[in-house]
Amino acid sequence: MNSGLLMRALRESWPATLIIGLVLMGVESLLAFVLPKFGAQLAQQWLQIDFARSIMQAMLGTEMAGRIGPQIFQAVAWVHPAVLALVWAHATIFCTRVPAGEVDRGTVDVWLSLPVSRWEVFLSETTVWLSSGAVVLLAGWAGNLLGSLALPEAQRPEAGRLFIVLCNLFCLYIAVGGFAWLVSSLSERRGRAMTSVFLVLLALFLLYYLAPFWPPLERVVFLSPLHYHRPVNLLAGGAWPWRDMAILLGAGGAMWLAAGLVFAKRDLCTV
Amino acid sequence: MVQLENLTRHYGARRGIERISLSVAEGVLFGFLGPNGAGKTTTIRVLLGFLRPGGGAARIFGLDCWRESKAIKRDVGYLPGDLHLPSWMNGVAAVSIFGAVRGCDLTQASRQLGERFGLDLRVKVRDMSRGMRQKLGLILALAHSPRLLVLDEPTISLDPLMQQSLHEHLRHLAAAGHTVFFSSHSLGEVEQLCERVAIVRDGELVADESFAALRQRAGFEVTIRWAEPSHALGLVPPEFLKLTRREGAVWQGTLEGPAHRLVDYLAGKAVLELTIGRPDLESLFRRFYQREKGGAR
Repeated sequence: MNSGLLMRALRESWPATLIIGLVLMGVESLLAFVLPKFGAQLAQQWLQIDFARSIMQAMLGTEMAGRIGPQIFQAVAWVHPAVLALVWAHATIFCTRVPAGEVDRGTVDVWLSLPVSRWEVFLSETTVWLSSGAVVLLAGWAGNLLGSLALPEAQRPEAGRLFIVLCNLFCLYIAVGGFAWLVSSLSERRGRAMTSVFLVLLALFLLYYLAPFWPPLERVVFLSPLHYHRPVNLLAGGAWPWRDMAILLGAGGAMWLAAGLVFAKRDLCTV
Repeated sequence: MVQLENLTRHYGARRGIERISLSVAEGVLFGFLGPNGAGKTTTIRVLLGFLRPGGGAARIFGLDCWRESKAIKRDVGYLPGDLHLPSWMNGVAAVSIFGAVRGCDLTQASRQLGERFGLDLRVKVRDMSRGMRQKLGLILALAHSPRLLVLDEPTISLDPLMQQSLHEHLRHLAAAGHTVFFSSHSLGEVEQLCERVAIVRDGELVADESFAALRQRAGFEVTIRWAEPSHALGLVPPEFLKLTRREGAVWQGTLEGPAHRLVDYLAGKAVLELTIGRPDLESLFRRFYQREKGGAR
């Protein structure tokens, strides 16, 4: 691993990591505090409406019949659209830096005129990406723990189970990042790459949410990465979701590898 | 040092470069000349391993420019034509990162170059003028004292004094055995600096030789002022004198071959004034290219 490349990637990505990490921390602490606190009220009123219940079930990816308890509300903090948007935004922002971002701003010439292979550039970027992704998620975890400190002990999530949720979310982050790498490797323009990633993620997000309402979508819901991130089961059962994690890691890893191969072979032209 | 053999690279249906062959020896200041869009940057991009050749081969230090790009670039300094550096960087950070990537300390060398080129390395790129950024690019390309320096239109935003300073530095490097591959569309600059030149036009190489040989091939600029316009009217110019202007008592044109033939032709004729000069590179290039286009070489 080239220290200079790591230094550069870190220097260029830390502001986004810091900002998204802090915002995620804030959102998580708010959700961790608010949802369980007002959960009983929600359960009594809002969740009696069929549509609202369906939305909630879609968000959690599981049946709620007879399961309304603290875990349900703790789980919402890890599937809430704001949380997913922040985590995915970080993956998308980071993973479109190279090569699409570098080609777009014309700096790729400068870096690749140095004695480094393209794989070295790619691996250095990946190292910093995974590290900063872990930092962002840990900031969310810290926020969640902070928010739940204000709750009675019975309503607080168990730290060990929360860690399982976090690992599962990290696998989801890798899957999204792998896809963003692939799009970036095929693109010359960062804006175009980010838009493409955003549109596909939005489509997969909607697929997951709409599947319970429209049976034909049920058959393809396995394509959505959210299908493999169901924290309510993890918080309730405490079992590691090995299969879901393997699928997310497999998909993310395959796309990341494809991205690396494309980047290593493609022409790079800034003019 | 640099060898291109039938190097071809297309951009889809559009031609980039076509069957370019040339070789550059060690310690040479080599000019790579051509108008905008001629294929200079494409050639350089292939040399640096940014573009894969569509056909032919490109080698530096005997290594393949695509497959062994990393090894080549240990000893290459490169300044892109359209230099972009991250705006958050200042010169010190850039030197530190470049040094870390190259695995050597460039601080001392870059400080000396900074003094030579008059650049404060503490200024951030976002606060630099285009000329200052170009100076920083030059410092980053030169600081590790590369065996081969590839400069793509390096003086485009430099003031004349800085251009002069850069030329001096490049001459000094070449004298010390470094090779400079100097791409430019400024004919005068290349003439002033380089000993050898390759001219590329519409993606094809139209000349690759020393300036002396090129001038010889292109002939001499000649102006003859006859004593009386009536003398000139009745005369037929010889086949080795290609007239470009014939107005009254003045003939202007190009002499092909040795000057004594013209002197012999004019002997005994009423010549008021005769000027034979070497053609400047601008006219040489223009004329040379026009002939190439016409197919007569």
